[in-house]
Amino acid sequence: MRIPIRMIDIATTFFWTFLIAFSVSAVYSVKDIHFDFGQPQIEVTPDNKIIFSQLMSITNKGFYNIGSFNISTEVADKEGFTITRGFTFTLVINKNDTVTVTHNMTIDINDLLQQNKNYLFNDTELKIYEKVGLSIAEVIPVQGSANFSMPWGAPLYNFTLGNAEYTPYNLTHLKVVVPISFENHAFFDLVGKIQIQMYNSINIVVGKGQTNVEAHHNSPYNGHLEFYISIGGITAIGHFEVYFLTTLFNYGPLVIPYG
Amino acid sequence: MADANNDSKKKIRNFTFKALKATVKGVLFYGIYFALWMYLAPISQMIPGLQQMVETFVIVYIFLIIVGELTSKTVFQYFFNMVKALFVIGYLIFSLKNGIFGLTFQNIRLTVDFRLFLVIVMLLSLLGLAKSVFQAINYMNEKAEYTRI
Repeated sequence: MRIPIRMIDIATTFFWTFLIAFSVSAVYSVKDIHFDFGQPQIEVTPDNKIIFSQLMSITNKGFYNIGSFNISTEVADKEGFTITRGFTFTLVINKNDTVTVTHNMTIDINDLLQQNKNYLFNDTELKIYEKVGLSIAEVIPVQGSANFSMPWGAPLYNFTLGNAEYTPYNLTHLKVVVPISFENHAFFDLVGKIQIQMYNSINIVVGKGQTNVEAHHNSPYNGHLEFYISIGGITAIGHFEVYFLTTLFNYGPLVIPYG
Repeated sequence: MADANNDSKKKIRNFTFKALKATVKGVLFYGIYFALWMYLAPISQMIPGLQQMVETFVIVYIFLIIVGELTSKTVFQYFFNMVKALFVIGYLIFSLKNGIFGLTFQNIRLTVDFRLFLVIVMLLSLLGLAKSVFQAINYMNEKAEYTRI
């Protein structure tokens, strides 16, 4: 029985030595992993989607490769509805190597507005759930996660149509001037058109017009829209239907009563 | 009278040798821990309670090494070796929370999955436990043979 005992003794000593040396050096290697974050970039694609890009560079000066490096981001609204998700994965980051990855997230504002038009008109807060995972020495999975909030600025905050001014144009038509005001709280510039259709009390279009709009981010917009209506069709009460056609989104109709 | 005196001297010499061997083993184990801790020190600053956890483990393990050495050439040596193997399994399961180690700083949560490491440690400890059982059986077997002779 002495020989099997001796064999077990040698085997356990060898494996314990290997395991302890490996564990300590793997944990020690963690301090030699460096993360550098670039400036977040925001760009608009030709199909009117907003892409958030975060450039990230990972330098591995440890003793072992890093496996399964992944970043995932989930943006949700206050009610927990997921607005967008982003996922970036790198299979292996070799030792003494630097890998640069770009973590992208795409937001389709048109889709977002389908869910909730309040994003256009009301400032709110978005919840961001960020998760970063990697495998130290390709065998010890480590994961870090964080929750934080980001303010969402409405591009058409406090959108209002002022009192319409009617001036005679000719015998059959009136010129209507409708003041428009809002504040662009969004992180992007608002460039596009606003169209207005004026309806009388029996839902018949009496006139329509459009104006070009250019509102820089974090700035107020004050303008007006002119169009002509037939004198015969006008009633004391009715409503305007407002359409927004911008480079990033199309929305409408927004119904605003008058009279 | 002279035989009894010699026997007592022999016992004292044996015990002194065992105590010396236990001290050397204890110091050597502590020296290894001390050397390895230098590598873990930068990480321990990030993980509160890690140093205390490792130190408690080292203290109990050194205590078991010393007791095991002092009881060498008796069946109790193997009993303490078994306790040592079971202690390693139990302490790691207890301190690593079933292999998933989690930490929270403000709103950041860090999770380390030590399950593979824990399985390997448990297998090695079970191998050590099996070795101790074999050694105890072998010891009792040899003792029985000497008694018969």
